[in-house]
Amino acid sequence: MKKVTKSEAQTIKLGEQTGKKLEGGEVFLLVGDLGAGKTTFIKGVAKGLGIKRHITSPTFVLMKVYNVTKHKVIKTFVHIDTYRGLSIDDLDNIGAMEYFMDEKAVSFVEWGVSLEKHLIKYKIKFTKVLIRNIDQQVREINIK
Amino acid sequence: MKILAIESSCDETAASVVEIKRGVFGVLSNVISSQEKVHAQFGGIIPEVAARLHVEKMLPILEMAVKDAKETWEKIDYIAVCSGPGLVSSLMVGVETAKTLAYALNKPLVNVNHIEGHLLSSEDMKVGKLKLPAIGLIVSGGHTQIILVKDYLNYRLIGETRDDAAGEAFDKVAKIMNLGYPGGPAVSKVAALAKDDNRFGIKLPRPMLKKGFDMSFSGLKTAVLYLWQDLEKKLSTKDLEVAKSYVAKEFQQAVVDVLAYKTIKAVEKYNAQTVLVGGGVSANRELRSQLERSVKENLNNVVVSFPDISLTGDNATMIAMAAYYHIKEKRFVEPFNLRANPNWQLV
Repeated sequence: MKKVTKSEAQTIKLGEQTGKKLEGGEVFLLVGDLGAGKTTFIKGVAKGLGIKRHITSPTFVLMKVYNVTKHKVIKTFVHIDTYRGLSIDDLDNIGAMEYFMDEKAVSFVEWGVSLEKHLIKYKIKFTKVLIRNIDQQVREINIK
Repeated sequence: MKILAIESSCDETAASVVEIKRGVFGVLSNVISSQEKVHAQFGGIIPEVAARLHVEKMLPILEMAVKDAKETWEKIDYIAVCSGPGLVSSLMVGVETAKTLAYALNKPLVNVNHIEGHLLSSEDMKVGKLKLPAIGLIVSGGHTQIILVKDYLNYRLIGETRDDAAGEAFDKVAKIMNLGYPGGPAVSKVAALAKDDNRFGIKLPRPMLKKGFDMSFSGLKTAVLYLWQDLEKKLSTKDLEVAKSYVAKEFQQAVVDVLAYKTIKAVEKYNAQTVLVGGGVSANRELRSQLERSVKENLNNVVVSFPDISLTGDNATMIAMAAYYHIKEKRFVEPFNLRANPNWQLV
């Protein structure tokens, strides 16, 4: 699915729609340059899952975990940033792999492209979200 | 009372012995081993490497802290440790060490939140002259929060960043302009080279300036990105080098403006008597001088208290200082029950 959003609000809206369709156990890899809007999209997803707390950048602690209280199946929302070039061992180290295999969790990994082959090896299914800046406001978001 | 404290939440392994006499804190030792240089080659912290280095450094650092303090293990009264928030694999090293020590030496154990440590690290606090209520401004690589300190152990979140922490924005801006890591000192150093003439007509936004107490620094970072890309197209290599310092200066000013404005508004609203600043970004010279100046200009009888520069980054002295108030209330934890909590929110 390829969509073009024309503002931050539209990117959030698209994230929100994605969030509402989640069933549990999904892993998303978000790929896009600095300032592309990966976090913005994820904020929308969290909104779609009914999370009230602000989704703040996980760059420093690498992984932030939020409780989901308003969903039948999903109990945990996981936000990971591999901006610093984390390896699969690093993710295992911080407990991320357990969340990837948890049917009651949904995980969103920013800059996740380097993880692709590892996830395939571990037979973990994932969805890729490619975000590209067309200009300062307009984004092309490709979910596949 | 003597407290031995341990801090290992990110990439510093730290231990400290603090003696408290009549509410005044005497720092007997403050040992910090930074892994900054190791991680700088990766442009950030690698958890597996960090944990391994913590394991290597922990015991020598503990021994050094006790030796520097001219103490013996038996003379320590309490063991304190930071158990979150932070990187789980890093936190675990400190937490497990503290548990073992408390059990082996048979001393009471206290666990402290990392943010509470930064909050209670300032000079006024150290000399026992802190006036409450206070507004705490915590600014670091992972956190940007405004916290109301009604009393010790009584905190309320007033505002926080909705996206990136202030320190993180410094790191990313440094990356955009290729200034090096960590970004805070790198950006400040370049910014100091710019004159006041704003010769490139650079203007960056002050995001969410007048909208409550929450902040946003992600948009500012993106604004720097587009500005820089634009300048790269327009300017010669020589001019670009000069423009770098002007971009850094305006970016730093935008961050300082937002932090200072919100802090002063929070002090007014909650009738605070003190502004407590803590965290890595509190070492920023512009933030220090401008915050002090604008508090003096806008508020009566409000003191701004910064930590000593040695206590702005992660350290164990701040953990000992915060631990004191838990000890006073006898809030101890059983060694076998304590776990590292990477997502622990103080408020």
